[in-house]
Amino acid sequence: MRQLSRIFMTVSALCFAVPAFAQGGTGGETNWVAITAGFSMAIASAVCGLAQGKAVASATESLARNPAARPGIQFALILGLVLIESLALYTLAIIFLKVK
Amino acid sequence: MTNDISQPESDRFYAGALDRIRILMIVLGGALSLAAWLIFGMRPALGFLLGCVIAYLNFQWLKSGVSGLADRATNSGKAQSGKGIIARFLLRYVLLGVAAYVILTSFPASLRGLFAGLFLPVGAIACEAVYEVFTGITRKS
Repeated sequence: MRQLSRIFMTVSALCFAVPAFAQGGTGGETNWVAITAGFSMAIASAVCGLAQGKAVASATESLARNPAARPGIQFALILGLVLIESLALYTLAIIFLKVK
Repeated sequence: MTNDISQPESDRFYAGALDRIRILMIVLGGALSLAAWLIFGMRPALGFLLGCVIAYLNFQWLKSGVSGLADRATNSGKAQSGKGIIARFLLRYVLLGVAAYVILTSFPASLRGLFAGLFLPVGAIACEAVYEVFTGITRKS
């Protein structure tokens, strides 16, 4: 598992390295909005994924411990997942509105 | 402060919340699409309607996915395959991506409407929250 995460990190670093070392254009202007948009989407997706994973893990554990409380847990899980997903959608919408 | 709502009645009230959210999504989607048509024109309204349809399908598939997950966790109901549950979760994102790509390549003007339509569940949940607060206040007074 640790080896897999190292491979994944190396591949991610290489993906960043390729455009970072590319030859610049004659204009020399950097599109910071596009760069920050990419980072913000990556951060939002990662944190939303973590939050959804934690919510599902907690709900599944609670359901296994107390199956009688299923309606309440299921309702809270659905609402939680929808609201967490909407946070990533907010970021995506802002990026589409700002990046030309 | 005493609670006048009896326990089974309150259980029934909160158990119907998901159905109320679903109905609110349909009503809000229709009404806001009509309003968008009148204010912004046909293409943004169609984009908004498409966003609403995707958001509704997303919500329904999320609900059935969570239900399948709960069935597996509690060993009750009809046993659904894990692959089916995961496929349903992933299919939501595929649908969203395809719709955004089609809109972006064919009608870029209606992309903002599409994004606005995707926030339909948030609006419906906010309406449901207001309704629950209002019902709680009126029943206690």
